[in-house]
Amino acid sequence: MIRRKGLDLCLLGFLILSIGCAPKFKTTLRPGSPEDLPGCYAIFPAEPWESVHKIEATFGGSSSSLIGVTKGEPSERKFQSVLLTPEGFVLFDAECRVNGISVRKAVAPFDSPAFARGLIDDVSLLFLPPAAKPTTWLKETNGTMICKWENPDNSQTEITGSMDRSWRILRRDKYGEVTKEVVLSGPFLNGLASRIEYRAFKPAPYSLRMTLIQAFP
Amino acid sequence: MKKFFFSIVFIATAIFFADMGPARDFTSLNEAFRNIRSVKAGFLQKRSLPILTKPLLSEGKLFLSMPDSLRWEYLSPLRSVMLRKGNNIQIYNFSDGVWKPEMAQAVEARRMVLGEISHWFQGRFDESTAFKHFYSPGPPERVTLVPKEGIDKFINRIEIVLSVRPGVIDRVEIEEPGGSRTSIEFKNVEINLSLPSEVFEKP
Repeated sequence: MIRRKGLDLCLLGFLILSIGCAPKFKTTLRPGSPEDLPGCYAIFPAEPWESVHKIEATFGGSSSSLIGVTKGEPSERKFQSVLLTPEGFVLFDAECRVNGISVRKAVAPFDSPAFARGLIDDVSLLFLPPAAKPTTWLKETNGTMICKWENPDNSQTEITGSMDRSWRILRRDKYGEVTKEVVLSGPFLNGLASRIEYRAFKPAPYSLRMTLIQAFP
Repeated sequence: MKKFFFSIVFIATAIFFADMGPARDFTSLNEAFRNIRSVKAGFLQKRSLPILTKPLLSEGKLFLSMPDSLRWEYLSPLRSVMLRKGNNIQIYNFSDGVWKPEMAQAVEARRMVLGEISHWFQGRFDESTAFKHFYSPGPPERVTLVPKEGIDKFINRIEIVLSVRPGVIDRVEIEEPGGSRTSIEFKNVEINLSLPSEVFEKP
């Protein structure tokens, strides 16, 4: 009896560990109907935008409060991102264009090329849809959109949700493991979510909680 | 960059509370703020950047107690507070209903800042290695700080504008290269209050 109980606990532990390590659920889709395709772009600004967010960042047990400003031009797939302290000092200022990243200012500890690449990748994930058309998409009967992109680096981007609820963006690596997860919550102001919960799992875990303060136009 | 901001805060507050007759020259102004024991004020900060269509507005409170205690607190859009008492510096951000300590690097950055400004805080402008100062009787009465070589990469000039109320500052303007600027307007200024020490110790 005791032996059986021990075995059960062992199995339970294994089950918990298994769940913890499993890739998140992947939806298998077929190509959707053309009229549903615009729904895959609903959470990304279609026009030039300017946003100011309060950012609460958590990494490695430390936390920091920052202000993030992003101004973008979706049609040219370019944007500028600035990180400020609460006092208004610019810690990081970079511009991303199709042909690369240009860092205008970077103050330690935000001055490494890896940080610049990571930030630009994060901002791109939040505000710009992948450059190519989704490979598969679906609009469910309740209005929920599910869209999936295969990216040139063999990663995948998935979005799920609807404007009257929240949206989730998942980035998966080539092995199907979720590397980044974003939850966008309304109300949506000029197409921008009021709240963004961002979690990066790999290579280094961190999370960002972003609250929209200002938006233009 | 941050150190200049806090330098300005100290200078501003130091002049600000100079509860005396109108200063007729820089020396008398300098002497006056040495009589100040404490300051309490609110402030409105406008941050203008080329990337921003409209300036970013922040509101906060300031508490100052001579010789070396400061509480510089933002109430919106972020709740954040910097506390200095002697050599001890703490920074907290309000998140999830509690005050959380700021990451160590940010605290260290402010430590250097506050060391630099202690000279100014005591009115020893001549000892600043970062700025040259110019006093103008106005009106409005003002002190202009011009950065020396090296610092001018970050700041073009700083202007401390006094109000018609003797010894009180209306605002501080910080101009940076590239068209960025910060304006801090002070309001509801009270001086020489008795401030409990925990104001400078706890968020």
